[in-house]
Amino acid sequence: MTALVPLSAAASPDPTPASATASAAALLEVRNLTINYASPRGTLRAASDVSFAIRPGEVMGLVGESGSGKSTVAMAILDLLGEAGRIDGGEILFEGTDLRRLSAAHRRRLRGDRIAAVFQDPFTSLNPALTVGRQIAEPLVQHKGFTARQAAPRVEELLAEVGIREPRRIAQSYPHQLSGGMQQRVLIATALGCDPKLLILDEPTTALDVTVEARIIELLAGLCESHHLSALFVSHNLGIVNRICNSVCVLYGSEVVETGRTRDVLARPVHPYTKGLVAALPRITTDRRHRLSSIPGTVSKLSGASESCVFAPRCPFAEETCRRLPQALRGDAAGNSVRCWKAEALAGTPWPEESTASRPQAAPPARSAPLVQVDALRKVFGERRSILPWLRRDGTVAVDDVSFTIQRGEVLGVVGESGSGKSTIGRSLLALIEPTAGTVLFDGADFVKQAKEGDRDLRRRAQLVFQNSAASLNPRKTVGAAMERPLVLAGRQGEAERREMIAALLTRVGLPAAYADRYPHELSGGERQRVNIARALATDPEFVVCDEAVSALDVSVQANILNLLADLRDELGLSYLFITHDIAVVSHIADRVLVVYGGTICEEGPIGRVLRPPYHPYTEALLSAVPRLGGAEDGPEPERILLEDSTAPPGGGGCAFRGRCPRKLGAICDERAPPVQTAADGHRIACHIPLAELAERASVFPELAALH
Amino acid sequence: MLLYTLTRLAYLAMVLVVMSILVFLVTQAMPGDVASMIAGQFASKEVIDAITVKLGLDQPLIVQYGRWAAGILQGDLGRSLVLEQPVAPILMEALSRSLVLAVVALAVVTVIGIGLGVLAAVRRGRLADQMVSGVSYLGIAVPDFFWAIVLVLVFGSYLKWLPTGGYAPLSDGFVPWASHLVLPVVTLVLMLIARIARLTRSSMIDVLQTNYVKYARAKGLPEKVVIVRHALRNALLPTITVLAIDFGLILGGVVVIETVFSFPGMGRLLLFAIQRHDLPLIQATILIISTAYCLANLTADLLYAFVNPKIRHGMGNA
Repeated sequence: MTALVPLSAAASPDPTPASATASAAALLEVRNLTINYASPRGTLRAASDVSFAIRPGEVMGLVGESGSGKSTVAMAILDLLGEAGRIDGGEILFEGTDLRRLSAAHRRRLRGDRIAAVFQDPFTSLNPALTVGRQIAEPLVQHKGFTARQAAPRVEELLAEVGIREPRRIAQSYPHQLSGGMQQRVLIATALGCDPKLLILDEPTTALDVTVEARIIELLAGLCESHHLSALFVSHNLGIVNRICNSVCVLYGSEVVETGRTRDVLARPVHPYTKGLVAALPRITTDRRHRLSSIPGTVSKLSGASESCVFAPRCPFAEETCRRLPQALRGDAAGNSVRCWKAEALAGTPWPEESTASRPQAAPPARSAPLVQVDALRKVFGERRSILPWLRRDGTVAVDDVSFTIQRGEVLGVVGESGSGKSTIGRSLLALIEPTAGTVLFDGADFVKQAKEGDRDLRRRAQLVFQNSAASLNPRKTVGAAMERPLVLAGRQGEAERREMIAALLTRVGLPAAYADRYPHELSGGERQRVNIARALATDPEFVVCDEAVSALDVSVQANILNLLADLRDELGLSYLFITHDIAVVSHIADRVLVVYGGTICEEGPIGRVLRPPYHPYTEALLSAVPRLGGAEDGPEPERILLEDSTAPPGGGGCAFRGRCPRKLGAICDERAPPVQTAADGHRIACHIPLAELAERASVFPELAALH
Repeated sequence: MLLYTLTRLAYLAMVLVVMSILVFLVTQAMPGDVASMIAGQFASKEVIDAITVKLGLDQPLIVQYGRWAAGILQGDLGRSLVLEQPVAPILMEALSRSLVLAVVALAVVTVIGIGLGVLAAVRRGRLADQMVSGVSYLGIAVPDFFWAIVLVLVFGSYLKWLPTGGYAPLSDGFVPWASHLVLPVVTLVLMLIARIARLTRSSMIDVLQTNYVKYARAKGLPEKVVIVRHALRNALLPTITVLAIDFGLILGGVVVIETVFSFPGMGRLLLFAIQRHDLPLIQATILIISTAYCLANLTADLLYAFVNPKIRHGMGNA
């Protein structure tokens, strides 16, 4: 780490890549790869001078935020760039042969045979019209000359290898009949079919639930080891990269900014961007009042050759030199390299902490009457009554008998996987969905009834921020026009007054007031989410439902938005219902948390309590599945609890989690709804296992014990 | 799937019952009195009354409908007043000619329309695509009777390669049969090809951008396999529906084209019946046309369900 050897002068790019020394043994070596995209606004750089090498048996993480070029590089290796992308220079050496020099047909023959891929969203990656067995067999038929009949036993073998229990039945199923985890296993089986040397894994678990993700990562890690596979693991998730990758390559603005062994790079990042990325990651083990570090600014679209360090505009350590000269990648003796001339000087300097002093401490939630009171909420979707018996449908129970309260100024987190009913709860609270049964009281009034009768004031007092920041803004309306409507509804008549308020609101969420004249497509994802928040604030609400409000954002931007939401709560005394699948995010913002599964609450309590034993078996598995950073100094990783792939929650009485519960007691779990046991301080767990027995389990986060 | 089919058949029966009532009522409401038309302009009142009684036209509507419907259920479509013979054989003859027209036209449209659509989608933005798109616009924008007249003038009157109209049964030999079909089929398919090509092109472009097509390429499958097995199969779903409905439309008669080419199909029969005020013939023709149309729709839905496993494996217990 100490002796950085400059491989090339900063001013004149040298073609020698940092990894040249490792090239002899490398399975895949990418050298000085430059890719441009043709766009209506000119040529955009997607990859410039990207170099890295993967040795046999090595799993390399390619990390970066959206727009960093990581997927472009992966697709270039597969020769699947599409028409708009063009490789303008460099080499892609696979087993010593430059793929770019081969004919397209030759490259195609390597694809799926020697180099196989698994993509992000398993459901859309499978053809809906063909059985999965046929799709797994395709590479075997294509590359190994199998007939369909010969391939069948091999397909079953592959399915069994990726942990599917009834391979014969699954092979005959269609994709829509399988769960997300099973679909991803099917894709992995497809990739393994021809015994490839190299796997290209493009965000293979991003679309999956956390507990399923943990299983898939476990499977991939095992397969890479047993088959001596090399892999390029493209991901934005540093925790996952930390778990599965031997080495990591960090991309920013189409350039490699840092590369090296995972434990070096993630534990002691050298490049300012990597430092910022690691610091911005929400961690369960940090205090809720702790402000997240964030990286200011956004990634800008790049065109033409860079004339400065790409990260300089967002870098807190940037100097005049950084803005004048492009940076070169410099390697050290250990094989790690970094693209920053100040790397040596910054070696021990952490990413600057955001000041917490300026932040007024929020008053503890008042013990007066709750703002929101939900009692025995139940929602059934798709129920159909008919005189024709075969047209009758029972419907799906999305939320079953859920009760909770939210105090004024309190943030209640709702954590759950897809299908847990968490969004349904949020929408029922705002009367966007009519509950099948149960009541929602808002400040003592029946929200659903009042909203039906056209009570605008309740609508004004409760607002919503969605996950998809782009889809929740009308593309044809300027930001100002989008924000004007709620102001009119809130009774602001004067146009000048409204314009002033819009400017004030934009400033409030940290955007320039001039943004009022911009259209949504001119803003970045983070900026759009700020506009959505500003719009929600326009009616001066007391209560905001944030439905996965930060889930679609990059880590550095997510930290920004989380800080903003926390500030707004402290300054305006807002209450939030914060819905998310990410328990680390919830631990940062919520006072209390509900853990939901299959439409029921398994556990609820103050966040500090929920993170410590006693745990509900589901909470325990969920916490244990959360990918984390943490180097060797944190001791060995604790044993993970791996759940079965998700299945539809069984209907009828009994516990909703019984189908996947690793600690299921027996018949009682099938027959009777679990009793709610109170541990302490409003910490409640719905489980048949006695509290004392639940409390015997070790903490998933031993480091938390030392914290308080 | 079986339950789905049964449910759809039940709906079909209901639609046909409603349709028959509508057809019956509408023809009753048409101006003019059947009995006086049969009797002729100068017939005496006694003659007209006698015919009225003979045809049962003096009885309440519901009885008349009941008798008519009962007849249909027994395969008796009534007697044509003008032609003075049973309606059924006349209808069957016209229907069989329309069927020939529909089958030949559909075969041509399926092959050429889908082929052009796929070609345009795969070569999106290039010359082939622009040509297909340009010609499609022309096919859709210019009305079919224009093409009909142009074709008749060029190939019939000027070059004298093909007959300008009429119909020859297959029993007259293949060449006369086929030569009478060429011009009507060509005119008919010009517009249909344009529509199918544009439809196939747009759904094909959507499907080519899906992840599963990208993944099929990542498996190293040759482009031909990717396009046919992975893309086309899914892109055809909307096309199948439109093709089946087009088939029903042609079967029900294409009045303009049949008129221009003097093609004795369902369209011309209906036109004849309406002009002559031949009530039984009108009723039976409309009923057969609606049945054909409903059956084509049902076929479209069943085909769609068959090709789309999501529906095939979801409808059974629905």
